[in-house]
Amino acid sequence: MTSDRTSGDITGGLVSRPSSNPANEPLQPVALVDLLDRLLGAGVVISGDLVISLAGVDLVQVRLHALIASVRAEMVPR
Amino acid sequence: MSTGLYFYAICRGVTADDLAGQAGIGEAPLRLVDQDGLGAVVSEVDLDEFGEDGLKRNLEDLAWLETVALAHDRVTRLVAEKAPTAPLRLATVFLGEASLREQLAQWHERAERALDRVEGRSEWSVKAYVDPEARGEQSQDEPAPEGMGAGKAYLLKRRAATQRRESLAEADAATADEIHAALQGVSVAGRRLAPQDRRLTGHTGEMVLNGTYLVDETRVVLFKGAVDALAAHHVGVRVEVGGPWPPYSFASLDEQ
Repeated sequence: MTSDRTSGDITGGLVSRPSSNPANEPLQPVALVDLLDRLLGAGVVISGDLVISLAGVDLVQVRLHALIASVRAEMVPR
Repeated sequence: MSTGLYFYAICRGVTADDLAGQAGIGEAPLRLVDQDGLGAVVSEVDLDEFGEDGLKRNLEDLAWLETVALAHDRVTRLVAEKAPTAPLRLATVFLGEASLREQLAQWHERAERALDRVEGRSEWSVKAYVDPEARGEQSQDEPAPEGMGAGKAYLLKRRAATQRRESLAEADAATADEIHAALQGVSVAGRRLAPQDRRLTGHTGEMVLNGTYLVDETRVVLFKGAVDALAAHHVGVRVEVGGPWPPYSFASLDEQ
């Protein structure tokens, strides 16, 4: 069984989404997790901690290794 | 208000005109900082929000994280549609253009390599799930052999259940390995991300593979065909393909 989410879901739809759509339109939870999996680089996992590393005095680079429990609590009801 | 520069992506061949009229986080206009032929796509952000303290606070706020992630993705896609693009991790913020340029100059060679790697390619997600119910995983109650005591029968049953679970888990891992290996064969590169937590996504079944693949744009049809074939081959496994994504997982400056 294959389901192709290219055209149907919100993630794929972003490709052609007109710019009139505000950036803060909510994502489906699965699409948000997919996105965070990639944007945070390390995969989104539930346990673990939040790490912010500073590389250089005036450079702030964030590596978020995990979403904390409070995040989970907010997402589950959706 | 002091401001910093939020850095979305490094690209090659995008012009300031391409970004004209386009906005990033908080509707701030996008800017291109050109350094030795590489462009950094940035927009101004408030350091109360995006400075070290602000980030620590805000990254724990899901609504904030979602808004920023979505804006980051939107800008990255916009740029990736026009030119080879190496997306940055979420929330990379510089305090000024001078430090940004300095960093860009330092990253130059690695960025060129990353852009070479992703040019003409995009990222596709493939997830595989097994559905325990679909393959009849409920314990089959077999009657205990005659003359066996209830206690012994119970222990035997428990041991059998444990063995069944272990062999199913092994089979699932083998299935995931097989699918991943096959997809690596039809892509430029593949990586396995941690399986997602059902409490976050609400998916049914068990996610045994959360793979992501860098696929040449000329081979997308081939790649999807391979996904379909794998899904048909592995009965009881649900396979989902998603994309295209900008090459988030394959444009790391750390990679050689």
